Amino acid sequence: MTEAVIHPWGVAAGYLMTLIPLGVIYWYKLPMMGQALLAMVRMTIQLVFVGLYLQVVFRLNNFWLNLLWLVVMVAVADGSILKGCGLKIRVMATEIFIALLVGVAIPLIVFVGVVLSCPNVLDARLMIPIAGMILGNCMRADIVGIRTFYQSLAGSQRILEYRLGQSASLSEATRPFVIQALQQAMTPTVATMATFGLVSLPGMMTGVILGGNDPMTAIQYQIAIMLSIFTGTSITVTLGIRLSARRAFNAYGIPDKSIFA
Amino acid sequence: MDKQSTLDVRTMPLIMEGITLSFPGQTVIEDFSMLLPWGEKQVLAGASGSGKSSILRVILGFIVPDKGNIQIDGHAVDGKSIWHLRKKIGYVPQEPQLGTGKVQDILNHPFTYKANAGMSLDLQQQSQLLEQFSLPVSILEKEITDLSGGEKQRIAIIAALLLKRPIYLFDEPTSALDKENAAVLADLLMRSDMTALVATHDARLAGIGDCITLPGRGGNGGGH
Repeated sequence: MTEAVIHPWGVAAGYLMTLIPLGVIYWYKLPMMGQALLAMVRMTIQLVFVGLYLQVVFRLNNFWLNLLWLVVMVAVADGSILKGCGLKIRVMATEIFIALLVGVAIPLIVFVGVVLSCPNVLDARLMIPIAGMILGNCMRADIVGIRTFYQSLAGSQRILEYRLGQSASLSEATRPFVIQALQQAMTPTVATMATFGLVSLPGMMTGVILGGNDPMTAIQYQIAIMLSIFTGTSITVTLGIRLSARRAFNAYGIPDKSIFA
Repeated sequence: MDKQSTLDVRTMPLIMEGITLSFPGQTVIEDFSMLLPWGEKQVLAGASGSGKSSILRVILGFIVPDKGNIQIDGHAVDGKSIWHLRKKIGYVPQEPQLGTGKVQDILNHPFTYKANAGMSLDLQQQSQLLEQFSLPVSILEKEITDLSGGEKQRIAIIAALLLKRPIYLFDEPTSALDKENAAVLADLLMRSDMTALVATHDARLAGIGDCITLPGRGGNGGGH
């Protein structure tokens, strides 16, 4: 297997390729030229910064620094999810943080500790990319699931009241809304798993192949990461809804509208 | 509560005192009080927007009033007691939204709740009620979303009655019912020993009990 080599001048040449999308924007006078240029600059600066920072993190491979990195990743995802769901950060931040931390930690421990048989679950070289992939995918699912839960509740308060009026507990009354939210959140992950290898070569597999490994090694990594994402998604969405719901209802079981940003 | 505390709560399953409820920029209910003795029926009348539905929803804890006290069966309604007190109440909402699924599942579902453990669906009563309200047995296999407004309303009434609660709250229960079915409900209410508060502006239910007429919106009595 030949490892693909990448050089800074090669990447610079890649920027030339963007003359095509920028040309399309210019030709059709799309009102996004500034936005597109800024996005490219931001991406470059952010990734250069992360690359430099990760070099240090990988070299030191310090337990506390790695843990701090994980906590920062979870905190950033926490804020993005709440923003994406239109919920107040100061009300729900702790609940979603716990949901994400648990939902990432469990598949991470299994992936690194069991699948890769590495005793140090927080080894920077393994933990950072794997936790990042799990978290990134969970984040999209969480936004869909948590937003669906609160939007369907807001639109169907009379159904909730009807069930409460029949003496349902809060968890009994909200169960259909939880089911709907979980379905919406987990369907894309299930659908993606079903088409892997047929429609596209997934990201991790591509990375492992580009890194010079054979396809059979690549698919094992891919299977493990997909199972981790599937597990992480189910945990983060379920916990995210269950924990945030504790703050989302008043003592009478009625949604508290002040949770919305 | 000085005056009410001298009342025998055993004969008053529902006491509301000095209830004031406002939404931003609007007072819906102002200083409303009422007593409902066991076995009696009362009609809450008033124009649309006079707060009839809101009073029923306040009793069930779906809206928290700005001021006032509510007692159900001798217990003050608060965020803790309401979960126990709802077990004493059957509720038929206005234009009921019953969720999704087959009618039989909708009728079965309340009996799966922990609070209703020990109760089971009375199939004989279910058949009687379907017949009384002119609904065929085959309706049980239909999707609830395929039913007409009138059919849904009758199913909501039947679902509430099957729970055999001591106190009932009906919110415009005849709004989608024809003359015959409205008469069936009126007759059922009059013959039954249940305690019921019925919010309605339907004259067909006027005879079931004493009437409390709410003032129009704004609570100044000028909205009739």
